[in-house]
Amino acid sequence: MATTRTLFDQELAELKSGVVRMGSMVEQAIAESMRALVDRNNALAKEVIARDQEVNELHRQLRERAFMIMATQQPVARDLRLIVSFQHMVLELERMGDHAVGISRAALRLNDLPQLKPYIDLPRMAEITESQVHEILGAVIEADQDKARMIAERDDEVDVLYRRIWQELVQFMVNDPQTVERAAILLFLAKDLERIADRVTNIAEDVVFLHTGRIVELS
Amino acid sequence: MIAWASMQADVAAPATPQAEIEIKLDARHVNFFYGDFQALQDASLAVQARKITALIGPSGCGKTTFLRIFNRMHDLTPGTRATGEVLLDGHNVLSPDTDVINLRRQVGMLFQRANPFPKSIYDNVAYGPHILGWSKPQINEIVEESLKDTALWEEVKDRLHRSALNLSGGQQQRLCLARALAVKPDVILMDEPASALDPIATLRIEELMQELKKRYTIVIVTHNMQQSARVSDFTAFMLMNERRAGEVIEFGPTDDIFNRPKDSRTEDYITGRFG
Repeated sequence: MATTRTLFDQELAELKSGVVRMGSMVEQAIAESMRALVDRNNALAKEVIARDQEVNELHRQLRERAFMIMATQQPVARDLRLIVSFQHMVLELERMGDHAVGISRAALRLNDLPQLKPYIDLPRMAEITESQVHEILGAVIEADQDKARMIAERDDEVDVLYRRIWQELVQFMVNDPQTVERAAILLFLAKDLERIADRVTNIAEDVVFLHTGRIVELS
Repeated sequence: MIAWASMQADVAAPATPQAEIEIKLDARHVNFFYGDFQALQDASLAVQARKITALIGPSGCGKTTFLRIFNRMHDLTPGTRATGEVLLDGHNVLSPDTDVINLRRQVGMLFQRANPFPKSIYDNVAYGPHILGWSKPQINEIVEESLKDTALWEEVKDRLHRSALNLSGGQQQRLCLARALAVKPDVILMDEPASALDPIATLRIEELMQELKKRYTIVIVTHNMQQSARVSDFTAFMLMNERRAGEVIEFGPTDDIFNRPKDSRTEDYITGRFG
């Protein structure tokens, strides 16, 4: 059957491209916040913090746009699911941006202190979450629920690394009170990465909802 | 998400007993012809008692034709013919031995445009009971009850003997509904009952439907998909086939039809990508 809602379809396509654009900004913020830590680059950390305003502004614009489309176009079924999912996705992306800011702030504090230990598991954890964010955006673009489910499964790898980092840092604190500040900051930083992976899972659930109309729990 | 304490025991949800489903009207493989032209093809629909069932679909898909078969309104159009079965409480209303007058008492109808008789408000509602030979006190009682059921009593109780034609469009439509209720029907058929009304009057009709469905079975034809989504429990989507005969494409709970339709043609229609 021929499409008779050209304007509406165009609005949906623009909304989708806005979500993907926001995703790319957040993906870059996460990668750069980790680079700021590993390379002890304070300027880069400050840049990530400053750029979060752009993410927040895009989030606001996309929410407004989604609301306007709902109010004026009265979408149902797949159209309604698409808009509701996008609204939720941008919320998750905005929070991921906040986690990138959290990592950058942690980097700023840690970079002024002697490095507690060589960073091994943290960059590995970051690598997985970054690739999850990248791939989930692909699943959103391709509306591929199978891919989304597979990406969500990788959350377990992140959780394993998080537990390991947590135990190691607690051990540092027990053994040497001088390490408490740095270990505590690293714990918060690891938690930021762990939460980003959780939010990827939430977006994966949105992709499944888009397809099936069923709200699923993938974690 | 990491679960720090996995101490929650799995608790099975209590089993919900399956509510008994009562089918009031059961259309089975209905075909309908205007002369040689087939307007409906193999249409089936099981209408649950005390629920609202909506028929939606583009113009010409046979919704109104289907609705009018339920109380044999098509008999009034020469050259028409219906085959198949429409069971009302198990009795085939299409069979020649059906008492059509009694059928239309049991299955009342509300039309697109309010069509009050050019009589008083009271006489409009009393008309059916009067024909049925009810006593004056019975008629007085049923007039008041029907007007109350349609939320019209308070508005008209002091001018019952004034012309019904002086009422507003929304009031006239509710009066027609009261007229249908006065003969104690089981089923009410509504053919786009709010299409000529303003949004407030439309809302009143929709609220009334929610009240009435506690006692009556309602089948509504509507072009307004939002209305169907708002008021109905079940929705049937109809479409013309390649021979221009109407068919039921999908029928199910309204939630499913508007959220997760199974047929892509239903989805195209409800999302406005049809035509």
